[in-house]
Amino acid sequence: MKKLIHLTINDQSFEVAVEPNQTLVDLLRYQLGLTGTKKGCEMGDCGSCTVILDGKAVNSCLVLAIQADGRNIQTIEGLETAEGLHPVQEAFVEKGAIQCGFCSSGMILSAKNLLDQTPNPSDTQIRRALSGNLCRCTGYQKIIEAVQSAKTI
Amino acid sequence: MLLPKFDFHEPKTVNEACQILAEYGAKARILAGGTDLMVNMKKKILSPQQLVSISRIPELKNLEASADHIRIGACFTVADLCESDAIQRHLSALAEGAKNLGTPLIRNLATIGGNIGSARPAADLPPPLMAYGAQAVLSSLSGERTVPLDQFFLGPGFTAMKPDEILTEIQVPALPASSGAGYINIGVRKAQDCNLVNVASFIALDAGGIIQNARIVMGCVGPIPLRARSAEKILIGQKPDTALFTRAGAAAGSDSTPIDDFRGTAAYKKDMVGVLTRRTLDIAFHKATHRQ
Repeated sequence: MKKLIHLTINDQSFEVAVEPNQTLVDLLRYQLGLTGTKKGCEMGDCGSCTVILDGKAVNSCLVLAIQADGRNIQTIEGLETAEGLHPVQEAFVEKGAIQCGFCSSGMILSAKNLLDQTPNPSDTQIRRALSGNLCRCTGYQKIIEAVQSAKTI
Repeated sequence: MLLPKFDFHEPKTVNEACQILAEYGAKARILAGGTDLMVNMKKKILSPQQLVSISRIPELKNLEASADHIRIGACFTVADLCESDAIQRHLSALAEGAKNLGTPLIRNLATIGGNIGSARPAADLPPPLMAYGAQAVLSSLSGERTVPLDQFFLGPGFTAMKPDEILTEIQVPALPASSGAGYINIGVRKAQDCNLVNVASFIALDAGGIIQNARIVMGCVGPIPLRARSAEKILIGQKPDTALFTRAGAAAGSDSTPIDDFRGTAAYKKDMVGVLTRRTLDIAFHKATHRQ
């Protein structure tokens, strides 16, 4: 039986009816059209479905939509403002840290979550923070460089 | 990848959760962080008819350090364990296990209760917790009981928990003054890996610097985390030094019962148990002599 939930996504309030067995990533993509969040492995391994849930980066394929009731979610669509791209997005473009682009939204959200908590991370901290996001183009080095340059902005 | 259908419950108190479990018994499954259960449900390994989420029960997220115990709520996340000063100060080997579990994304969801309750032989938190002598608090409508983690694990995925019980809290007894513990895990990769071997060691020294008590726990080398009893016997009553730790490591290797698999051969894992035992004893000894 569907249940009505209320949640905030990218500072906007939503009221949606969800099935108990619906995951958060499926709610975002198929019901709300927020397809910037990607579905890769759906097992919590690849990180392409990363969203920021109440300030913490999580795999949205492992969270039930119903568990997001009353909670605050940030997706890749929420980063750009009227002034333009988020500094982390800008850095990814600038450093060529985007190849096929499938891991980018997850990478960028994990990087943003790190910089929100640790404004000046070491290389090790950056690598650790991104260790849950896989890039199958193996473009890791440029991604690390992008985060290094974003931290100085 | 679709999840099987289920009814969803989200109790606000432990008592309410116990009532739901009393009604549905083995048809119900507890959902905490979901990092293990969701995967098993997607793979159709588990298809519980009733899912009881305990993540909105505030008291399960508490951490309390008193004079005689550290009590950690079952829904305390692995990320919380990594960041907690109290855990870092009093239970550094547990903090080490937490830091090496999964990925940052997993650590933000996964809970200490889930890492124990899922009873995976390669889990990161049971060895340090067992080394510290922790016990699990289980609640049901008929009350509360505590089970030492030593007796909690029965096999891969099997525990002493009854179908109507919830793991609500982990209790770690306050540690004697001159004691310490170490934890090391090795795997094929540095992150997001199933451990190849993990070992936690704890030692307590008396006033003369003699080892009074020792607990060594080995993961991945048996169906449950195993105590290295003969290694512990070698240590107790002795003065700690490298030669003693090396002998204890060799004994721990013989205490272990690993299998050959794609991660490594049984012989390699036995050798690694020896190496990690020696190294974790070094860390434990250092902590025991440098803790105020």
